[in-house]
Amino acid sequence: MTANGPAARADPGQLLRMSRIEKSFFGVKVLKGVDLALERGEVHVLLGENGAGKSTLMKILCGAYRADSGALEVAGRAIDLARHDPKSAEDAGIVTVYQHFHLLPHLSVAENLAFGGFVRERGLIRWRVVEARAREALARVDLDVDPRTRVGELPVSQKQLLEIAIALSKNARILVMDEPTAALSRKETERLFRTIADVKGRGVGIFYISHKLEEVKQVGDRITVLRDGVTVATLDAKSADLSQVIALMIGKDLTRRGREPRTAAGGTALEVRGLASPTFPSPVSLTVRKGEILGVTGLVGSGKTELARALFGIDPAQAGTFLLDGRPVRVDSPRTAVALGIGYLPEDRDVDGLCLNMGVKENVSLVLLSKLGGPFFSIPAERRTASELVSSIGLKIAGLSQQVKYLSGGNKQKVVFGKWLTGGCRLLILDEPTMGIDVGARGDIYDLIRRFVDREERAVLFISSDVDEILEVSDRILVMAGREIVAELDPKTTGKGEILQHASRLHPGRGAT
Amino acid sequence: MTEVQQAGIRPAARAGVGLRTFSRNQAVSMLAILAVLWIALGFLSPFFFTVDNLFEITLQTAVIAVIGAGMTFVIISGGIDLSVGSVFACSAIVGGMLFSATQSLALALAATAATGGLFGIANGILITVLRVPPFIGTLGMMGVARGLALILVNGVPIYGLEPYKFLGQGKLFDVIPVPTVIALVVFAVCFAVLNYTRFGRFTYATGSNAEAARLSGVNVRRVQIGIYCICGLLTGVASIIEAGRLGIVQPAGGNGYELLAIGAVIIGGASTFGGEGSILATLIGAVIVTTIRNGLNILGVNAFWQYVVNGIVIIGAVAADQFRRRR
Repeated sequence: MTANGPAARADPGQLLRMSRIEKSFFGVKVLKGVDLALERGEVHVLLGENGAGKSTLMKILCGAYRADSGALEVAGRAIDLARHDPKSAEDAGIVTVYQHFHLLPHLSVAENLAFGGFVRERGLIRWRVVEARAREALARVDLDVDPRTRVGELPVSQKQLLEIAIALSKNARILVMDEPTAALSRKETERLFRTIADVKGRGVGIFYISHKLEEVKQVGDRITVLRDGVTVATLDAKSADLSQVIALMIGKDLTRRGREPRTAAGGTALEVRGLASPTFPSPVSLTVRKGEILGVTGLVGSGKTELARALFGIDPAQAGTFLLDGRPVRVDSPRTAVALGIGYLPEDRDVDGLCLNMGVKENVSLVLLSKLGGPFFSIPAERRTASELVSSIGLKIAGLSQQVKYLSGGNKQKVVFGKWLTGGCRLLILDEPTMGIDVGARGDIYDLIRRFVDREERAVLFISSDVDEILEVSDRILVMAGREIVAELDPKTTGKGEILQHASRLHPGRGAT
Repeated sequence: MTEVQQAGIRPAARAGVGLRTFSRNQAVSMLAILAVLWIALGFLSPFFFTVDNLFEITLQTAVIAVIGAGMTFVIISGGIDLSVGSVFACSAIVGGMLFSATQSLALALAATAATGGLFGIANGILITVLRVPPFIGTLGMMGVARGLALILVNGVPIYGLEPYKFLGQGKLFDVIPVPTVIALVVFAVCFAVLNYTRFGRFTYATGSNAEAARLSGVNVRRVQIGIYCICGLLTGVASIIEAGRLGIVQPAGGNGYELLAIGAVIIGGASTFGGEGSILATLIGAVIVTTIRNGLNILGVNAFWQYVVNGIVIIGAVAADQFRRRR
């Protein structure tokens, strides 16, 4: 293991060097002087927990964010970071292969590849030439599709290869890949790795961000671990010990335990047996007990959100039994779920959770109103309920009619939470409830969750990819990987490292890949 | 911490209040525009401020305002209904035929309103079940309804609707025109529905964020079908008023009324993005639309120009809405 100190020398063959990169958001330092280098033909894996600074660093490299200070050199040529933008990144040959594809789905493969450079003759496009060039570009990534195929018809894995082909056709020297395998099957992943090996052979350097530790040794040459905005270590990927890598990612928290489960959980609130659908090829079973906060964690693409959507009836399960308080029920739509007393805080509160141009009062009463019978409701009662709620959950607003779009992230989330509190829900499914919420408001949200299960035998299914908060909040923990529940753990006796090992399928208890 | 948060909340709070005063100002500024229009027309034409003409305005307003009331629901929910002009003709024809056959006014009126409501339900099903975008679905229905109206009577108007006339020309207590009364009742009911019922609240919620409403347990489909049904039903009611005024129903009637009704709602200040709008604003919008039409008439401007002016006013209102949103 060699610590990558600030004194690391740039050798002449080096493709890229970033040094002493610093970046703050709203006064919070996210990158505290990061150094990073990339060789020609190297796959350099960046590892770190959520919030370690990987994505911020890569966004600075691609010109999406501007660094506060630091230096960037590509092939020995200095690039002014103060004026670095997406255009100058592309000029330097730095190209990101996006997770969320920015292809034009209604156009053909050839058209997507040719964008910006259609070969014309007397003003008319020479399709023969455009298509021949497309074929060449596709051959470079070993993608065997007709250039005339519409991009929308391609499977995700082929779109990704097409993105790489486009990047290469732009003469990319440095590729940035952020979680490229999150949506891919094992076979497709193998295919992508073959292409990556091929691209490497052409001298292109690749930054590779992934949470899947199992891939790291297979695809990577070097690993750099980031933690809290600093480079912790750079290691050789082939010889690295992954348990040690996890230790480096987590730091001194490795053996951090969860807390004592609050009180002994009561009877069964919800039992799911053999939930199956195209999303869950192998049936999923789980039990949530009354008075319990059941934490569910796993990596990107492990199936956490999909599980929540199935339980809430958004993408209903095709097989399986649901027992609510011991009674068999069918949850085939959100409406039946709500009627049964199940609530759902979606991952993206602005898109799925809130009526942004309506007032706080109107938002928090929506669930309650959908459950009421009869056409009329009492406006004064609504106002009273809303103002009681506002004071009981500590919502900071200018008035009950303030449009929720003007609230902070934490207060918005409290409004969504409040909607289910006034709606009288018994089982609350929370999908990443603290995403994008500042530290102070996070504590408030945890508080709300705990207070929720303190009363009337309610239960919570708490989904989060942040292992720290899973340990802090849960009474019991389920770990998901590859759309299956791979472990059930007790937070009191479980360390953070163990959870990550399960999530990466590295745990000694299982056949590691 | 609390200090920081409170400090952080202040600008947001001011923005919220600012926007609300601004949208209240929108209604106020529309009233001001109306006043300016009236004063200008009063100077331009000695006929404008005659009792006859002012009644003419309230009469003309009644038809557009009643359709506009239904359209307000549709536009608040984030949709649009282009079929109202044709549905207007078709429901009047169905009612007129039934009246000719049975001489029963009650039956004829019920059939007119029901036909409008059924067209609305059909629109709602197109949009929710078949997932046709509202613009296209109601555009298709515009053709279907107009065609059916022409087919039913082979293109010939229906005459001899004497008992209808009270509804279009009658006066309550010898002073207030009946159409004005009908329009006011419709607006009072719509106001109550939009502001004091679950259905009204769900109409706003659907327009604001249909997915969030669905995930809160709201039956968004049923709400949408109900909204288009109300719009169709009120279009039928409006066609009764006009039939009463003219004493005939014609398959070519209601031509271009979608433009006037949508104009009334948009000019009133509803957002084409959905989730915002009010029934009272639509009333002001309807009076403005009719005043422009009436004014052009009185000034002797070629009737064809009315379409041009109306179109420009609607485009201007939507552009103003977009501009308001960008800030």
